Amino acid sequence: MNRVKNFSINKKRNGFVPVIIGTAVFLFLIFTLNIFVTPIRNGFFALSSPIQKTFWTAGESSSLFLGSIFNGGAIAKENANLKNENQKLLAQIASLQSIESGSQALNDMSASCQNTGLKYVMAGVIGLDESDILSINKGSADGILEGMPVLNQQHVLFGKIFKVYKNFSKIILVSNKNSVINVKIQQAAPTGNPDDPVVPEIDGVVKGSGGLTAYLDLIPISSAINPGDILVTSAIEKSFPKDLLVGKIIQKQKNDQKPFQQAQISLFLNVKTTDNLFVITNYKQTN
Amino acid sequence: MWKKTLAVILLFYVFALLQSSFLAHFALFGATPNLVFILFFLVSFFSKKEEIYQVIIFGIIAGFFLDIFSYSYIGLSIILLIIFGFVLKKIQSLLKNAETKYPLKYFLPLFTVFLLAYELLIGASLYFLDPSRLRINFGVETLFYLIYNLIGASLMFYIYKKIPEDV
Repeated sequence: MNRVKNFSINKKRNGFVPVIIGTAVFLFLIFTLNIFVTPIRNGFFALSSPIQKTFWTAGESSSLFLGSIFNGGAIAKENANLKNENQKLLAQIASLQSIESGSQALNDMSASCQNTGLKYVMAGVIGLDESDILSINKGSADGILEGMPVLNQQHVLFGKIFKVYKNFSKIILVSNKNSVINVKIQQAAPTGNPDDPVVPEIDGVVKGSGGLTAYLDLIPISSAINPGDILVTSAIEKSFPKDLLVGKIIQKQKNDQKPFQQAQISLFLNVKTTDNLFVITNYKQTN
Repeated sequence: MWKKTLAVILLFYVFALLQSSFLAHFALFGATPNLVFILFFLVSFFSKKEEIYQVIIFGIIAGFFLDIFSYSYIGLSIILLIIFGFVLKKIQSLLKNAETKYPLKYFLPLFTVFLLAYELLIGASLYFLDPSRLRINFGVETLFYLIYNLIGASLMFYIYKKIPEDV
């Protein structure tokens, strides 16, 4: 009887051994995968980048189209005209517009960077994840390093490079929950008269709150801020060049019991309609 | 059977690309549907008890695509999806044959629990590995994420049901 019992226990123990070995091998494989995570991710993104870019452009067009339907009937007239166009012509126009838009962006950026001495690399947007991390199709092979500022041709700040692979990079947007940047508030002149007294500079901090949104914080309670005031990067901000556009104040939230006031802001960055971005590659060297 | 497996693997890849590019334009409060998770849950839900090896393979592949297109460590989603696959099959065996009569009635609550558990555990794992990357947040964003995914899961549920079993 005891023999039978011992045999049964041994059988159970024997059954556990392959499971334990299998789990150990599996965990070891996962650990190994993480050692080679950079080339693996880079390979995948290099392979998927053209498809991802196509999906990104398709998503952009679809959301604009749907948005215009929800926003009114103006698109209906435009649609009626477009119905007569054939598919081939439309595809050619779209392709040409894409090239033209890229060149225009490049020209605008060249002109503005000549004045500031900043060097840049133009990159195409290929993806966005839920944590406000944007993917672009340029990486260390193009001279991009972690921490480099990213903006568009209108000098609207998007964020900074967070992770670099050989052929693509990830950008942590200013709306990411871990993002905190120093800003100064440019107040709209009440009359527009140049003889008006100079308004003292107000500094604050823009903190990301996720979902492509952010808020303004750490404004001294005595400072007067108003809806419509523009936020630009401050000279004390080490990660970004000064005077880059960040957003504007929508509504202030003043609580006399708190030492600082906060405000709801609208960020200028519009990820959904952006195809190309610029990575400033020599910012640290210029300071 | 191999055709189905190949098609599901290909769909995991396409869905991973779609949710990181196309669907990003339709985000509400930063929330987009997690198509890869929905598909994994569907194939696991409808797989037979003896096809557990298939659930494990799908868990590894779906988890790999989720990890590769995120900025987290590779392996977190793989491990979670394999565990979820096992737990789901166990729950289904406890429910016995009841779920076959009203599958959607059982599918949606189970899906909700597993999706929230996935979000919570991914957030917690990131915190454990790197506290600066904490992203556990049960607010409006999570509500929209849940609604978006429930709509997506319901649609995909009926599409999946239309596919003949012998494919």
